[in-house]
Amino acid sequence: MADSKKRIWIFRIVAIVVLVLIAVAMFIIGRGHTVYFDNKSLEYGGQTVDNVPYKIDVVINGEKVASLKAGERGMVDTMGQSFNMQLLVTNEKDGKTSKVQVGLPLPYSMDGIILNLPAMLAGLPQDAYLTEFIPTPSAAELEDEEVVTDETEGLMDFGE
Amino acid sequence: MSEQTATITFKDRVKDIAQDFGLPRLIITGFLVLLLVVSPFVGADLPTQISNIINRFSWNGILVLAMVPMVHSGCGLNFGLPLGIISGLLGATLSIELGFTGTMSFFMAALLATPFALVFGSVYGWLLNKIKGGEMMIATYVGFSSVSLMCMMWLLLPYHSPNMVWGMAGKGLRTTISLEGYYTQALAKILQINIGNLSIPTGALLFFALLAFLMWAFLHTKTGTAMTAVGSNPEFARSAGINVNKIRLISVVMSTWLAAIGILVYEQGFGFIQLYMAPFYMALPAVSAILIGGASVNKASIMNVIIGTILFQGIVTMTPTVMNNMIHLDMSEVIRIIVSNGMILYALTRKTEGTK
Amino acid sequence: MSNKNIGDYLRRFSVPLMFVIICAVCAPISGLSPSYLANEIVTRMGRNAFLILSLLIPIMAGMGLNFSMTLGAMAGEIGLILVCDWQIVGIPGMVLAMIISVPISALLGLFCGKVLNMAKGREMITSYIISFFINGIYQLVVLYLMGPVIPIKHSTIKLPRGYGVRNTVSLLSMRQKLDNLIPCSIAGVKIPVATFIIVFLLCLVIIWFRKTKLGQDMRAVGQDIGVARDAGIDVERTRIISMVLSTVFAGIGMIIYLQNMGNIATYSSHSQIGMFCIAALLVGGASVDKASIGNVFLGIVLFHTMFIVAPKAGTVITGDSMIGEYFRVFVSYAVITVALIMYETNKRKNKSRASEQLALEQEEEVNG
Repeated sequence: MADSKKRIWIFRIVAIVVLVLIAVAMFIIGRGHTVYFDNKSLEYGGQTVDNVPYKIDVVINGEKVASLKAGERGMVDTMGQSFNMQLLVTNEKDGKTSKVQVGLPLPYSMDGIILNLPAMLAGLPQDAYLTEFIPTPSAAELEDEEVVTDETEGLMDFGE
Repeated sequence: MSEQTATITFKDRVKDIAQDFGLPRLIITGFLVLLLVVSPFVGADLPTQISNIINRFSWNGILVLAMVPMVHSGCGLNFGLPLGIISGLLGATLSIELGFTGTMSFFMAALLATPFALVFGSVYGWLLNKIKGGEMMIATYVGFSSVSLMCMMWLLLPYHSPNMVWGMAGKGLRTTISLEGYYTQALAKILQINIGNLSIPTGALLFFALLAFLMWAFLHTKTGTAMTAVGSNPEFARSAGINVNKIRLISVVMSTWLAAIGILVYEQGFGFIQLYMAPFYMALPAVSAILIGGASVNKASIMNVIIGTILFQGIVTMTPTVMNNMIHLDMSEVIRIIVSNGMILYALTRKTEGTK
Repeated sequence: MSNKNIGDYLRRFSVPLMFVIICAVCAPISGLSPSYLANEIVTRMGRNAFLILSLLIPIMAGMGLNFSMTLGAMAGEIGLILVCDWQIVGIPGMVLAMIISVPISALLGLFCGKVLNMAKGREMITSYIISFFINGIYQLVVLYLMGPVIPIKHSTIKLPRGYGVRNTVSLLSMRQKLDNLIPCSIAGVKIPVATFIIVFLLCLVIIWFRKTKLGQDMRAVGQDIGVARDAGIDVERTRIISMVLSTVFAGIGMIIYLQNMGNIATYSSHSQIGMFCIAALLVGGASVDKASIGNVFLGIVLFHTMFIVAPKAGTVITGDSMIGEYFRVFVSYAVITVALIMYETNKRKNKSRASEQLALEQEEEVNG
């Protein structure tokens, strides 16, 4: 009796540990980021990066997610901390296209991340080309909304 | 059995009430007293608060009173209250449709609601006799079904009074109908007392007192005591030669009729008729009010109705003002939901002898 | 005898039959194309099946329709809200939400089971009131504690006043991620393969569970509490376990449901699903004391066909879109009412038959 009880307890603890481990794993691999790409000039520590290419295509996992002319910004939602992309850089109109493979870890704490591509291509340090994107809440978001909490709400309106 | 009921003296009853008071009720009473004591200090006007409570009592009292007959006959808490309310709404809308105005429209509404209440109540009572033991759940769903059926009917029935139908379409009743010019305050304004901020709707209170007295008197007639007997021990009642089904049917019809009158009294205080989904919201407050007053699933008295309605309405009216003034945080809705449903749960889980 | 059997069958299948007729009448009137209907029903099958399957276990344990499945749904919603705020996206987000919901569901299920053990014989009305009661607690947590006590960072979720969660929380980051995990489409009908696999696994678990010792105990408790207790089964514990399992499954089901919908109606999603899951199960021919996996799927097909076609048909017939809406609500409630009435009358009939038999036996004994 005591033995089987012990076994049950061990089983339970193992189950809980496994669940916690899965949860931790999900925290790490499931963290979503929104990455913004800027094809713009950038000022950093007194020096200016103004070598902005004519067009940059951003390819992730073989899928083109953004095509940026000079001065444009694109975005993509990603999952996980390791971020890999392929940049197809076209420096001049009708010019030759060069391929650049870029991989970098994304900081866990940032929801939105801006990558300045020209600065990155120029080989500046990470804190130059990577900045946090802080969204300005829209007017609709700032507006106070009235919370409807009707206990019988779901009784007549069955939703979709 | 009848002698036994008759010999319960006032003293016994007081003792009974004290015993039945229970912890949750004590907490609720304490909470209300606390609210009343605190309210002047946080800037709420006490006379206004008290007249609010009295007014709300006069609106809701009869709806709570409607619980009594069915509890007595052992049919449990009448979660099917919306059925009676619908009878009342039919009476109210018909009275306006037929062109009655002023206080007259109130009494016509009551009169017109009566046949509906009798018919609906009889069918409902017949149904509940078929399913003894499962009354409360089925009552809930009879309420839901009838409310949703009537939602269609309010749109389809040929009402024409311009005060009630949608202006654009010219047909289909509005969600809320103003009773201005009809029976708003019809009872409340009779002998109304106004002292400063304190106003007492004497007429409505008297009307409640009349019905409550009639109910009390009825419970002491032969049929009334038979009802109590059926509720407390149906086997015994049957062997004593009481027609159990008939008594239960009577109780259900009474409850339904009281609900119909109750909603009319509510409307005269509130000033609007609320159609469509509104009857849904009516059953649970009435159920929890009578339980807060000290009733259980198979025991309820007029005193329970009065105490319960005052406590329940007191908390409902006082919490928002006091809380808002105190901490600028209106948690009254949440408190109401937890208190009222917690009270029903408490009553349902207590061991009760006899029927369910 | 055979006559009686046919009658019994008719009674058992009267509700599904009625729905077949309603659907057969309304579908052509509504003017919806068959491919649209097929698509919708397959989607809804994936969306609702898990939730409805969670109702089966309490029925097995004789506790009737579990109206407090909404407790699990609330736990699932809390999990999703938190995960959304932590910005865990996609399938990992769903898994994490499920892991968060499980202890909350289990705790709520435990509470529910304990309360229901104190209210034997009126489980359904009690579980129905529990759902309201816990809804109050849920509102307390979501409306007042989320923000100051439970940190919520994002202004897309939190109300501007600094506490409480908005009326709707967008689940764009995990919208239909599970449904589209294994893309598949047959004849223009999109099939959420991964969702179906999970539903299928739950079906297997339920079938397996019926055969375990615990499952057998549960059925014994469902048949007769007294006999089960005499046989040495811990009735109270068995009933609590059935509630815990049901609530946990409902929580997971709710997460699957919401990933398909793509947003949470914070204060009403859970109460909505409670009603129509029960209605769908009953439409599938289940009764309060007997329900099978087959009932679940038949119920979803019939109920949701009605659900889709009735408003359209109502609009076509009466010219008023609300009529159809009210009609489908009325039909749902009417179905539940009829099922409850049939269950109670049968119970009484059986009881009186049993007592008659007992009286007969006693009489024979006296005479003999």
